Amino acid sequence: MMSSTAGMREMSSRVASTVGIIVNPHAGKDIRRLVSAAGHTSDSVKIGIMRRVAAGALEQGAERVLMSTDTHHLAERAVEGLDGNIEFIDGPTTGSHLDTVAAAASMWKAEASAVVALGGDGTCRDVTTGWPDVPLIAISTGTNNVFPSSVDGTSAGVAAALVATGAVSIDRVGSAAKRVSLHVNDPARDVAVHEEALVEAALVDTTFVGARAVTDPATIRWVIACLANPASTGLASIAGRVHPVGRDDAGGVLVRLGPGGRRVRVPLAPGSFATIDIAAVEPLALGDVVDLPSGGVLAFDGERNTPTSANTTISATIERSGPRVIDVDATLEIAARDHRFDAGTSSRKERHGE
Amino acid sequence: MSRKIAYVQAFNEAVRQEMQANDDVFCAGEDIGAFGGVFQSYAGLQKEFGERRVVDTPISEQAIIGLGVGAAVAGLRPIVDIMFMDFIAVAFDQIINQAAKLKYMFGGSATVPMTITTGGGGGLSAAAQHSQSLEALICHIPGLKVVYPSNPYDMKGLMTSCIRENNPTIMIKHKRLLGMQGDVPEEPYAIPLGKANILREGTDVTVVSWAKMANDSVDVADQLASEGISVEVIDPRTMQPLDTETIVASVKKTNRVIVVHEAVRFAGLGAEVAAQIQEEAFDYLDAPVGRVAAPFSPVPFSPVLEAHYQPSPDRITEAIRSVLARPGA
Amino acid sequence: MELSNDVLMDMHRRMVRIRLFEEAAGRLAEAAKLPGFLHLYVGQEAVASGVCAALTDQDQITSTHRGHGHLVAKGGEFKPMMAELMAKSTGYNKGKGGSMHISNLDVGMFGANGIVGAGAPIAVGAGFANKYRDDGNVAAAFFGDGSTNIGAFHEAANMACALQLPVLFICENNEYGEFTPRDKTMAITDIVDRAAGYGMPGVIVDGMDVVAIHEATVEAKARAVRGDGPSLIEAKTYRFYNHHGVQNLGLKYRTDDEVEVWKQRDPIFTFEDRMIDANNASRDDFDAVWAELRADIEEAIQFAEDSPFPTPDQILVDVYSDTPSATSGAAQ
Repeated sequence: MMSSTAGMREMSSRVASTVGIIVNPHAGKDIRRLVSAAGHTSDSVKIGIMRRVAAGALEQGAERVLMSTDTHHLAERAVEGLDGNIEFIDGPTTGSHLDTVAAAASMWKAEASAVVALGGDGTCRDVTTGWPDVPLIAISTGTNNVFPSSVDGTSAGVAAALVATGAVSIDRVGSAAKRVSLHVNDPARDVAVHEEALVEAALVDTTFVGARAVTDPATIRWVIACLANPASTGLASIAGRVHPVGRDDAGGVLVRLGPGGRRVRVPLAPGSFATIDIAAVEPLALGDVVDLPSGGVLAFDGERNTPTSANTTISATIERSGPRVIDVDATLEIAARDHRFDAGTSSRKERHGE
Repeated sequence: MSRKIAYVQAFNEAVRQEMQANDDVFCAGEDIGAFGGVFQSYAGLQKEFGERRVVDTPISEQAIIGLGVGAAVAGLRPIVDIMFMDFIAVAFDQIINQAAKLKYMFGGSATVPMTITTGGGGGLSAAAQHSQSLEALICHIPGLKVVYPSNPYDMKGLMTSCIRENNPTIMIKHKRLLGMQGDVPEEPYAIPLGKANILREGTDVTVVSWAKMANDSVDVADQLASEGISVEVIDPRTMQPLDTETIVASVKKTNRVIVVHEAVRFAGLGAEVAAQIQEEAFDYLDAPVGRVAAPFSPVPFSPVLEAHYQPSPDRITEAIRSVLARPGA
Repeated sequence: MELSNDVLMDMHRRMVRIRLFEEAAGRLAEAAKLPGFLHLYVGQEAVASGVCAALTDQDQITSTHRGHGHLVAKGGEFKPMMAELMAKSTGYNKGKGGSMHISNLDVGMFGANGIVGAGAPIAVGAGFANKYRDDGNVAAAFFGDGSTNIGAFHEAANMACALQLPVLFICENNEYGEFTPRDKTMAITDIVDRAAGYGMPGVIVDGMDVVAIHEATVEAKARAVRGDGPSLIEAKTYRFYNHHGVQNLGLKYRTDDEVEVWKQRDPIFTFEDRMIDANNASRDDFDAVWAELRADIEEAIQFAEDSPFPTPDQILVDVYSDTPSATSGAAQ
């Protein structure tokens, strides 16, 4: 994917330095606000962040800001009256997470150089489904925010523009994230799919996707995590509290749940704790392939997502093939040392030849 | 045992005694809890019965009535207060389309044993939005009962009936009568709804009047007695259902009648009373039914204007003389 | 929470009962056998079924003008419901309410309501009674996206939160207030964005997924029973038929494509497919449910058709409790 992208770009005429902004309008509004102390992220909060990202990116010289459009028209409202070259990609079609996937793919086609995504772990997963090695700044507006960070939109926009314009090389500030890659094969229905998760995947013993959140610890069979931070909440916290795995650590961990072993308290949702029975903890090296039990619903990054049957086979592996995560602090620090924030003598627009 | 207490205390006592007798009775409204209500109608009740049973609500008239409707259908016996009668306009959907109609719409399965209490009437320079007498509006709605007492004794007995009533009832307290003193028995008693009271017996002319105007009419009758004019004053007490029988019987005796009310004349309750009299006692009438009411304007603010606006003893006297001036049969 | 097969099949049965009742009502309306207005619930079955499966007969619900589904889901019987739609004296409302006011207090259904938004304050009252009696019951108000623009809703939501009442606010966001799309009538997209303004949690669930709705309702009810106050659940759903009636009447306020996309997510068929995939039930199991309920519906239609209309002497009955003819002038 990486090389073909580069190839396409070389062939095309020079593309305006472009910062993409993707918002998941559904983030931070699901059932976890009922079952836990999770916060609500309203549209107006998201609109405010998006506007700050766009303003920051334009300020720092992005020649184009490319916005995902969404069923909630957050993008249009966010940039109303904002001066600059702002374009919108084609409208959403499903009103579901698939809109986020499609938006990320469109950003890749439109040759964006950096993408700022608003959402939680689930949203980041959707973005990387659409563009696997996306140069990404993820701002947390979700419920479980293991992957994204709580960086302010202004700084995120500036950092994205610094990378997009080449002022700071992505190679200096962006490193590929890990992910859990799963092959799910249902021979009875002749369905084989590839799924991935940026934090963790789990099997939940329920029939239905339902309200998506995983709230009943008794239903969790196993958790495989590439990012297991004891400071996180959600399914990742199960792994994090028995076998921490950082962003820079190679590999991940598989935790099988069941009686007879350690019993661990975990914050399964923000502000609410449960006791988990740990049957086995299996550290995984990058590239290890492990076969996992099926029959239930696969959850990715905290949400029930894909129903499986008992006949489904699941194999999983930890890879470092995820998005190139842009370090906002490092980017701004390099830019400051390079005098990238000096006002100069001519106007910004003249400098960029517009 | 009887003693003199004020109209507002009589109201308060009825509520208190019914609350003591029945845990299903509760009160809800703006400022009625710790503060006791802007007219002190609910004074001391929260202290006695606690916040569970005397509830301070947000300033949300629709939700206050809705609270009453839902709680009533669910089996409680709510008393919900709308501070000024003018504010029922804010809650008209819940009063007209919900409270009044649920029983009928549901084929009789619902009962709505709710009392709406409110302050009506003018005379306080409270202007157009805090002075109205809107009883005609609500009497027009099948399913509601409407009560507007003229004295402390009636207040206690009627309020007790309202609370015990299995229908949505609107109890209007006249603001100018709140301090009126009168003999009121200490023990609980009920005055049946729909039963008029003959405040003063007479033979020459009937005055149908309620609330403050009933008192003014009695004063006028006392004055005219010195001239040898015998005025019968009938206070229907309940506007809906209206005790037409008592009114008609009086008219058949006196053959002359006027209706006095604070609300505007056009489509006021006087029109309904007059229509029923001509239907039931046309041949007994020696004069057209007279009406003394407010002019067709909002209630004005200036005390000078309001004094002209409200029916005065002089206008009542004039109207009585006018129907008496017609030659008899 | 993993739901037992009994609960799952019960919710399915509720959905199928609604679908069959509404389809039958639609056919009868087309045949001019139902007087008055008819607002069909087809497409939204998962919402009423998922919610009501989490409630008892003692828990109350208030409803909307699109209320048949709520009554069916709450346990309403076909015969008196169909008779009411046909304006017969054997109806739940003795022919005095009809489609728009259909009710049955025995199962806690406080009536369909012809006034948009009016149910919410009444649910607040029912919730108040539950808290007053400390009986562990909850009141659920069903309402549409459009009704969150009316004052009654705001007053009710605020009061329920101010008094910490056991009330569930169930918004069925079907994206249209009558014939006008939601985005023309409010500047927000998710009704739940309003919840924080009253001080209650608001959650979005897939309104075409009965399990999602049920899970959220169970949690909201538990919260209310604990004394933690109201919740707002927004179910994103869609009505397959028009605002009223069954035909599109040439009204092009929605595109055929849009309707078709939502029909692909039919709450009953998607549920059945998953149950069969998971080996929880077979196609034969579902066929048997449909066949049994179809027979019930035919029986109910026959019952309603055979039932008498109310007689004119019933006009004044039940205007008032206890004293039906006590009001002066009412009879004239």
